[in-house]
Amino acid sequence: MAADLQTLAGRLRRGLVPLAGAALLLYALWPWLPVPGRAATPRTVVFYGFSILGEALNEDVLPAFARRWRERTGERVEFATAFSGSGTVTNQLILGVPAQCALLSLELDAERLAKAGVIPAGSWRRLPHGGVVNRTPFVLVVRKGNPKGLRDFSDLARPGVKVVHPDPLTSGGANWALLAEYGSAARRSPGREREAGFESLMGVWRNVTAQAASARAARTQFENGFGDVLVTYEQDVIEDAAAGTLPGEIVYPPSTVLSEHTLVVVEKNVSPSERPLVDALVQFLWSEEAQRLFVRRGFRSVDERLNAANPAFGAIRDPFLVRDFGGWNRVKKEIVDGIWKERVMTEVGK
Amino acid sequence: MIARRGGAGVPVGILVLVLLPLILMPIAAVFVFALRGGLGEFWQALRNEDAQFALRFSLLIAFLTAAINAVLGTYAAYVLAKHRFPGEKPLAIAINLPVAIPTVVVGTSLLLLWGPIGLFGKALEPLGLQPMFTPAGVLLAHLFVTFPYMLGSVKPLLDELEVTYEEAAFTLGAGKWQTFRYVILPALRGGLFSGTLLTFAHSLGEFGATVMVSGNLRLRTQTAPLYIFAQFEAGNVAQANAVAAVLAALSFVIFFFLLRYSAGPKR
Repeated sequence: MAADLQTLAGRLRRGLVPLAGAALLLYALWPWLPVPGRAATPRTVVFYGFSILGEALNEDVLPAFARRWRERTGERVEFATAFSGSGTVTNQLILGVPAQCALLSLELDAERLAKAGVIPAGSWRRLPHGGVVNRTPFVLVVRKGNPKGLRDFSDLARPGVKVVHPDPLTSGGANWALLAEYGSAARRSPGREREAGFESLMGVWRNVTAQAASARAARTQFENGFGDVLVTYEQDVIEDAAAGTLPGEIVYPPSTVLSEHTLVVVEKNVSPSERPLVDALVQFLWSEEAQRLFVRRGFRSVDERLNAANPAFGAIRDPFLVRDFGGWNRVKKEIVDGIWKERVMTEVGK
Repeated sequence: MIARRGGAGVPVGILVLVLLPLILMPIAAVFVFALRGGLGEFWQALRNEDAQFALRFSLLIAFLTAAINAVLGTYAAYVLAKHRFPGEKPLAIAINLPVAIPTVVVGTSLLLLWGPIGLFGKALEPLGLQPMFTPAGVLLAHLFVTFPYMLGSVKPLLDELEVTYEEAAFTLGAGKWQTFRYVILPALRGGLFSGTLLTFAHSLGEFGATVMVSGNLRLRTQTAPLYIFAQFEAGNVAQANAVAAVLAALSFVIFFFLLRYSAGPKR
């Protein structure tokens, strides 16, 4: 009897591993098992976006489109999305990820895609608003109560101020931030724009203590306690600031850039049968419904009239756009590479 | 070796003090944080569609990796143990190399080989095949990274196995396959078991190579470790940590099985 029990226990024990394995396998396979009554697999659109778009697209805009599409055609549509730094997204697209649409944080990345043959040159400019889906200004986020009294980009140059900044090599936002730091000073000093801009960048970058791959990652670093000030998109922090959950407060510099976010459609990944679906999605992004959703999520609409709907938007005395500095191709060559990379970074590295 | 009973207090105390912040507390932190918001919140974070997909996808890849490498690794071990041939040494070193290569490097080289700009990738492109940024790419990376584990657990057993058993089986009229099936395989059971579990566990936690080749698409190619990283980076610490706690718990169970059973069959 006792021996019987022992072999039984032994058998149970030996059976435990296969049993546990089988249970895990069943769990893993579950969604793909042909269980009756399960809906047919929906159509899928693969959408890549830069880091701060995650919530607005996943939770509001794309589901809203899926509802509209279902009303119109009866078809279910599902979105596979991925969000990281704009430069990272661009590199992935060049390496061949199967995305049909991508929303990039700067036009320069679209240019890079065109150069790599992923999309036809300038194809995004034929979209509504030159491909620009929405905007957001660059702001400073400081610790609660602004203990260091930071009011403008020029204040970031003060000794002892620790700046958290995304990395311009992988983050589109970081490139906008460079333009904001340069432009705010240049616009104030007519006649000696380049020198004023250089000095401003020099001051900020001497104090950069942490660089993250994306704007979102930079914010996470700031929230984890690094640095005195973060340079980032207004949109990324506005919702939490309004809800009181941001571990800091927003400071609007008197003069800053409004970043413009560019949509690209990767034609070669769109099959003829998907054409109407992707076209409808692209149109929907500029519809009033989608633009209102973006505004609710803290993006500034390309349709100025809609921006009054979000009372949290702060006032900026002198906002400017990249076209005020000749467009991204010129800004990249003259400011990002010519001044920041070649002069500022070599100086700071010394 | 005679264990000293008395006076253990001080050295043990020092050991625990050193290990506490180094190893023990980080392990505990995952679970403490997971349960801080209460079980309901933890459950909520796990129920999330993306989290569920990531866990399932990781498990499937781990099962496939373990199954394929169990066969491939055993075969490699058998060939290396039973045959002498020129170039044997370099080959043995080469297939053990994946333990030493940084996983990010593995991801990079896979991309350079199978990606659209790579040798295989260029050949496959016209056929409309593109393994990178698909589950196939993730599987390729995991097969590469975990290959040596099976080999390492099986080959020592094969080396030890007396040739006389095989000879006896052969003289009794057993064919090659029969000898393998009834003589060699039973002797390898312990090694197969621990090798498979090790492979499974490593695949489940693989990050460096996966992050390069997966494209990180939610609901498509995002494994559990990538999900954890993405959520943490986005500031959703609770979401990230819930999945991290599950992975940690799974690895404990696997480790427990390894300790508990792999010693068994050897006796």
